[in-house]
Formats: sequence, structure tokens, C-alpha cells
Amino acid sequence: MPSGSFARFVLLVFAWLACALFVWWFASALLAWPIALLAELVSRLALPDLVQAVEQHGDKITFVTSLHAANATVATAAGGLVSDDIDVRHFTFGLPLLAALILAARAPHRGRNLLIGYAVLLPFQTWGVIAEFLEDIAVGFGPGVASQTGFSAWQREAIAFAYQFGALILPTVVPAVVWVLMHRRLLEDFARRRAV
Amino acid sequence: MVRFFLWFLVLQAALFGLELTPWAQQWFVVPWTNTLAAISAGIVKLFDPQVLAHGKVLKSASNGFAVSIEAGCNGVEATIVLVAAVLAFPASWRRKLAGLAIGIVAVQGLNIVRVISLFYLGQWNFSVFEWAHLYVWQALIMLDVLVVWLLWVRTLPRPEADLPAVAA
Repeated sequence: MPSGSFARFVLLVFAWLACALFVWWFASALLAWPIALLAELVSRLALPDLVQAVEQHGDKITFVTSLHAANATVATAAGGLVSDDIDVRHFTFGLPLLAALILAARAPHRGRNLLIGYAVLLPFQTWGVIAEFLEDIAVGFGPGVASQTGFSAWQREAIAFAYQFGALILPTVVPAVVWVLMHRRLLEDFARRRAV
Repeated sequence: MVRFFLWFLVLQAALFGLELTPWAQQWFVVPWTNTLAAISAGIVKLFDPQVLAHGKVLKSASNGFAVSIEAGCNGVEATIVLVAAVLAFPASWRRKLAGLAIGIVAVQGLNIVRVISLFYLGQWNFSVFEWAHLYVWQALIMLDVLVVWLLWVRTLPRPEADLPAVAA
């Protein structure tokens, strides 16, 4: 990739990013559907005592828990049970970044790479959603709710780390890593050339 | 490439874990975030003298609007990703240190642009501020990290195996 091509690549990424953000914003509820399914699957397998139901409402995934609301500031479902709405977009905004990078690279099989990239991101996005839910019930909703979860001190620390990692690192780093892995040949070719 | 990615993931997780420790927060993250607010205020004061920095908060004295620079907006995580990517990639220590020095300046420089732009976007339209804050700038900062890293990779000398053979 010569210097001019690299500058052109960066400009193309910006242009595609604007388009991809627009599409993602309006399609985010549809794109979140598999995340809701994965979140429900994980909740059934790993958190059956804590989660009664997982529902999708547009861009939000609602966890209806078996925990009782300890104060009026916590959102409740029927029966005074704690429910938690998670905005999926906070964890999926890396998808337009990945789409922009794939489309700007103009490598073969762009459509296939977009689909693979979308599928690869899903578990990491689900991680973010579930970690935020766990952080809410373990810390955010206060000691009245946290005491019902039965989490130990080290489990709360692990949840806090998983939430921070899922919110601050994974949404943007995973798309970049996936793109680099998909374009290894481009990168190797790139590394062989010198800028000057 | 596999070795690079494994090292990248390990370094990134270790550095991020280190960042979250109370020690790192007290001695590095909080002082850096306060410095970032002070630098941003210093730049903005060149054309808007009504701006003040209190700790990690950037505030307009004229209308009271303020932004607080929180985790994720201080550029520390983006810097961690860059540091992990540069350290994990095979290169001499001299080139790694040069890449880190220039790269960190590039990432933090754009982050100052992010802070200042969000400060004014928030005063203009809060919905636009939220959109730019939560989604657009997050993607742009990571794009900055990726571009800086790719440019650094580009400056590295060719691997020995790729050099043309020399007759003995």
C-alpha cells in the first residue's frame, strides 16, 4: 500500500464510517436481536436463580430478575421484582467501525467479511450487556439488591473488571482486531514496505 | 501473527487490570485526567477566556455548562491499546520507544480535540453531544490508534527474510 493509497484508505474509512453509523443507528434494534437471544441463553445457563426473563424492547434488553426491589429508585417489573434495561448500542457501536474498515480496505469478499465480522462481534457485545446487568445488580442498585445476589467480594471485583473491560475496551478493540485478522496479507504487505 | 495477537491480548488485559487498581488510579489516572482538563482549558482559553478547569471538570463560567472527564474519555484506555500493540509487535526496543512516544502524543492530542469538541457540542445540543460522546468519538479514537499503529508498522525495516538475496 503506497503512501497515497494509505491516505486514501483513511479518507475512505471516514466516509464509510459516516454511512455505517447512519445505517447502524436505524438498524440497531434489528442488529440487537441475536444479542438478546445470546443474553437469554447465557442467563438460562449461568444465572437461572437471578434472571427470570430476558426481553428485547427495541434497542434495549430488559433483564427481569428474581430479586426484590430494595428502594423506589430501582426499576421494577410485576410483583416488585428488579428489572434492568441495558442499551445495546453502548456495546455495538464498534460494528460500524468494522464495516467502515472492511469496505475501505476494498479487499475481496467484503460482503462475506461483513457477515463474519458481525457474527464474531456478537459474543463480545453480549459480554458487555451481561456484564453491565451484573454490575448493576452487584453494585449499581445498592446494597439492598446486592445482598440478595449472594455474590462474594471477589465475584463483585470480577464483575466490575468484566464490566469495565466490556464497556471501555471490547467495543472498539475487537472490531480493530477482527479487521487486522481478516486483512493479514494486507498488513504483511504493508509491513514489508517502508514509508520513505 | 499468532504470537503478536497473543502478546497483544495478554499485555492489554494486564495493563487494563493495572489501570483499575487503586494505586494506578491515585498516582496516574486521576492526575493525568486533571492534567488533561487543565491542558484543554488552557487551549480553550486562547479563544474563550470564560472557561475554567476544576480537577477533571471543564466548566464555562459564562453559562455554567461543565463536562467531567471520566474513564473512557481520558484516553488512557486508547493509550493502553496502542502500548500493547506496539510492544507486542516484533521490532527493536529503540523503534518501539520511538513509536510509543510519537503514538501517545498523537492519541492524546486527538483526545484533547475530543474533550474540547464535546465541551462545545454539549453547550449547543445535548442530543448531538450524547451521540458524539458515546459513539462517534469512541470509534474515531480507536481509528486513530489503528492508523498510528499501521503508520508505525510501515516505518519498520523489512524483515531479513524479505530482503533480496546477496551473492556470496
